[in-house]
Amino acid sequence: MSAGGEPKAIGGAIVPNKIIAFGILGGLIGIYAAHFLDSMISPVFSFMGALGAICAIVWGADAVRRVCSYGLGTGVPSIGMLALGMGVVASMFGLAVGGIYGPILAFVSAAIIGLIIGVLANKVLGMNIPIMEQSMVEIAGAGALTIVGLSTTMAGTFMFDEVLTYVVAPGYIAVIFIAGGMAILHPFNACLGPDEHQDRTLTLAFEKGGIAMVIAGLVSAVAGSAAMLPTIMIGVFIWYTSFAKFYELTKRDSYKILGSGLLPTEEELQ
Amino acid sequence: MIDVVAILMANYLYVLAITLGGMLISLSVHFVPVGGAPAAMAQATGIGTGTVQLAAGAGLTGLVTAGAVMAVSDSLPLILAAGAVGAMIMMSVTMLVGAWVYTYGVGVPPASAKVKYDPITKDRQDLYVSQGTEGHGLPTVSFVSGVIGGLLGGIGGSLVYYSLMMNTTTSLTTSNLVGLASIFAVGIFFVNAVIPSYNIGGTIEGFHDPKFKKWPKAVFSSFIATFLSALIGVLAIGGL
Repeated sequence: MSAGGEPKAIGGAIVPNKIIAFGILGGLIGIYAAHFLDSMISPVFSFMGALGAICAIVWGADAVRRVCSYGLGTGVPSIGMLALGMGVVASMFGLAVGGIYGPILAFVSAAIIGLIIGVLANKVLGMNIPIMEQSMVEIAGAGALTIVGLSTTMAGTFMFDEVLTYVVAPGYIAVIFIAGGMAILHPFNACLGPDEHQDRTLTLAFEKGGIAMVIAGLVSAVAGSAAMLPTIMIGVFIWYTSFAKFYELTKRDSYKILGSGLLPTEEELQ
Repeated sequence: MIDVVAILMANYLYVLAITLGGMLISLSVHFVPVGGAPAAMAQATGIGTGTVQLAAGAGLTGLVTAGAVMAVSDSLPLILAAGAVGAMIMMSVTMLVGAWVYTYGVGVPPASAKVKYDPITKDRQDLYVSQGTEGHGLPTVSFVSGVIGGLLGGIGGSLVYYSLMMNTTTSLTTSNLVGLASIFAVGIFFVNAVIPSYNIGGTIEGFHDPKFKKWPKAVFSSFIATFLSALIGVLAIGGL
C-alpha cells in the first residue's frame, strides 16, 4: 500500500442498504429469538438478544461513519450519546406499552424521533448535511435495538415487568446506555482519518459489541430466566476473534511497523 | 392498550413542564464555555472537552442532587434549587481545576479572543492572547457564564425529573418509578445537550461570544424534540 493510502470508494466496500438490513433484521430476529427460545426451551438462549444488539451496533457504527465523515464540528461522541438518548426514550416507551410488539414499537418510535431531530438539525439549525435525516433515523433505530437487545439478554425477556425489575430499577440500564453508546460512537471515533477503512471500523464495532455482551452476561447472573455462562463465553469469543482481526487490519493499514524492543534495563543505560 | 387521552388529560401540566425543562437545558449549554479539542491544547478559550460531556457532567450531578432531595421532600422550589446548586458546583469545580491546569500547568494567562475587554472585570484581553490561538484558559466572564449555564441546566434537568416522578396515573412502586424516571430524564437530557452543540458547532466562550445569539434556533428545536419525548415518557410511565 502506498504512503498516502489507496483511493477508496465512497461509502466503503459494503453498501449501506446491506448493513441497514443486517442491523434491523439481525437485531429484531435476535431479540425475538431470545424471548421465545428462552421461555419455550431454556434460559440458555438469552444470549441471542446480545447477538441482535451486536447487529444493531455494527449498523449504528456504520451510520455514524457515514454521517460523521461530513464533519459535525462537535466531535463524534456527541452523536453516539444522541443515539442512545433517543434510543432509551423510544425503547422504554415501546417496551412499556407494546407488549409482544414492544421491540418493533420501540424501533418505529425511535425512527420517528430520529427523523424529527434530523429534520430540525438540517432545516432549523442549518447543518446542511444531505444524509442527516436518514442517518438520524438509522442511528436512533440502532440505539433502540441495542438497548432492547442488551436488556433482553439481561432479563431473559423483553416483557416490561421483568425488564423493569432486573434492568431499569437496579440501574443496569445506565450500563447499557454507556456500553451501547461507546459501541456505536467509538469505532469511527478511533479509526477516523484519511486512511479510515470500513472493514476496520466495523471490526472494531464487533469488538465493542463483544465487550457489551460480556457485561450483559455478568448482569444476567441476577435474573432468574437468563443464563450467564453462555452469554459471557460467546461474548469473549466474539471479542477475541474481532480484536485479533482488528489488530491484523490495523497492521495492514499502517504505513510501517517498527518494533521498539523492550525498555532498556538500568545496567544498559549506564 | 393504554388510555392515551385520559393519561394526557391528567398529566398535561407535566408534559409542559418537561418541555420547559428541555428548553432550559438547551439554553444552558450556550452559556457553558466549551473549547473542545483546541482548548485541550490551550489554543481556544474554555474547557478542553466537548459540549455534551460538560453538559452531561453538570446535568447528571444536578439530577443526583435533585433526586437525593426528592427522597425527603416534595417541595418543587427546593428540588429545583438542589438540582441547580449541584450542577453549579460541578461546573465550577471543573472550570476551577481547568483554570489551574491552564495557568500553572500549561503556563498560559486566561484570555478571551472574542472581546477586547472582559465585560465583567474590564481587563484588557487581546494583549494576552498568544499568536495563532483563539484565546486560552478561562477568563472571568467565561467562568461566570459557565456557572449560569450550570444553574439553568440544573433547574432544567431537575424539572424534567420532578415532572416524570409526579405522574398522577402511574401505579409503579417508588423504586421502579425512580429507575424509569431517571433513565428517561437522562435520555431527554442527552438529546437536549446535543441539539445546542450542533447549533454552536464546536466551541463557544460564553454569553459574550457572537455565537451565543444563535440560541433561539436551538431552543426552538429542543422545544419540538422535548415535547415529543415528553409525550412518550409521560404515556409510558402513566400507562404502567
